[in-house]
Amino acid sequence: MAQQKKVSNNEALITFQNISKSYNNSLVLNNISFTINKGDVFGYIGPNGAGKTTTIKILVGLIRDYIGKVYIEGKDISNVRQEIYKILGYHPQEAGFQNWRTVEHALRTFGRLSGLKPDHLELKITEVLKFVNLEEARNKKIIHLSGGMLQKLRLGQALLNDPQILVLDEPFTGLDPSSRYQVKNLIKSLSLRGITIFFSSHILSDIQDISNKIGILNKGRLIKIGDPNELQSEFLIGNIIEIVYNEVGNPCQNLEQIDEVEKIELGAPNIQFIHLEANADLDNTIQKILRSIADQKCKMRNFQILKPSLEEVYLKYIEGDIK
Amino acid sequence: MSFKILFADELKGFYKSKVMIVLWVGLPLLSLLFHYITPNTEGFPISSIVAIILSSVGGTLASAMLSTSIASEKMRHVYDLYLIRPVKRTNILLAKYFSVYLCLIIATGISLTLGLILDQIFIGNLPEYVLNQTIESLTISMAAMAISCSIGVFFGIIISSVPVATILSVYIGNQISAISILPTVFLDFIDPVIFSLLIGPIAAVIMLTVSSILFSRKQF
Repeated sequence: MAQQKKVSNNEALITFQNISKSYNNSLVLNNISFTINKGDVFGYIGPNGAGKTTTIKILVGLIRDYIGKVYIEGKDISNVRQEIYKILGYHPQEAGFQNWRTVEHALRTFGRLSGLKPDHLELKITEVLKFVNLEEARNKKIIHLSGGMLQKLRLGQALLNDPQILVLDEPFTGLDPSSRYQVKNLIKSLSLRGITIFFSSHILSDIQDISNKIGILNKGRLIKIGDPNELQSEFLIGNIIEIVYNEVGNPCQNLEQIDEVEKIELGAPNIQFIHLEANADLDNTIQKILRSIADQKCKMRNFQILKPSLEEVYLKYIEGDIK
Repeated sequence: MSFKILFADELKGFYKSKVMIVLWVGLPLLSLLFHYITPNTEGFPISSIVAIILSSVGGTLASAMLSTSIASEKMRHVYDLYLIRPVKRTNILLAKYFSVYLCLIIATGISLTLGLILDQIFIGNLPEYVLNQTIESLTISMAAMAISCSIGVFFGIIISSVPVATILSVYIGNQISAISILPTVFLDFIDPVIFSLLIGPIAAVIMLTVSSILFSRKQF
């Protein structure tokens, strides 16, 4: 899965610079700054009310009253809105459609408003409907669409103008597992086309699968930004090594005597969990452990450092375990 | 460009949602019904009665339609998908306003034509003063409707609750639209047609400008 991820080219595309936003004297975003590079799939995580949607609405121009600057390709978005509209696609979390429209009619209106020429628009509608797998619903009235179909339509309208930047606000909300899988695959294929994707979600496994960069937002503050592996690696300090032996009941002895080993637990008769001290030199300690295993001629089948899941990392950050 | 697209779309929306048909059929039927309930109008032409009915019912209906439509679409975040495109916010409001107003003009035309036909049948050739009176009533009605519609837009923008927006636009819309006729009732020297032709567009433009400014400042 990780091999399919698009690797960004380190060229800054979107820059949030010291963004703050308040509603009725309540600070929703508190001086956040970060950069998204061209080709990035940026996952924006945070609990409800953290400020994810506000950040996104500032980027797409729905909120214009804020402190700080947002740049796209080095240009302040408040000065170049018309240019931004051409390269941006936005999938809102909860936008409704007028119920009397059919799927095709809705797409036609949005396409025309985006400035697409009629001939090109007809082709584009067909292409988009095929891409989001809504061909059969082409002539259906919007009022008759399921939640999953509406999400796909929201994604479809965002793709009409061939955006370079796709902003998705909670694209998986309200989807059943099958639709979620489909939408996730659509996003993956869009990222492989080179589209820069900025999406928010609270479903961490989805973010982990798709993103090459993650931002964790809590109470209006961006508390961490990095790639998923980087975030997980931070927890390797003081982490656990799992050793599986091939002979039941024959784990290696005396490993707890190695410096920087805090304690040893048995997971099963042939499985040992070695807890390292928080400040342990990982490389050095692993070397000592392996040497001891070799010296004792223990028959080892597997040796691995247990990584925390992204969910654990996220919860640690949100709960304030890491400052 | 966006105005043309939005205007055509709004008309289509009203057509599809049957609102237009209700207006075009309902208002003439209401006038007819009124005629048959009170057939003894003492020589007062049906066309004039139609114009009076339209000014109150049509304006109220349009005002309610606009405030309901804008408030509910705002609440359901329908405009988010427009505003991330090169669409002027003012055009969204103007497209709504003019599509409802155009529907009303057509409904009024149908109702008045029907009224005039009935007058021709039941009264015969109408004297010129009756026709003048009808035109006068019609002009005042159109001015009142223009004002009511703009009040509907205004309350649709500033109020988030659909029922509250509807109640306020119906009640206050009716009161304010009376400015198109009230001065002419008390001051004989004011020509009602000229006055309503002036006050209708002026009041509507003021209300729409205020609404447009508020809508442009709105954070979605």
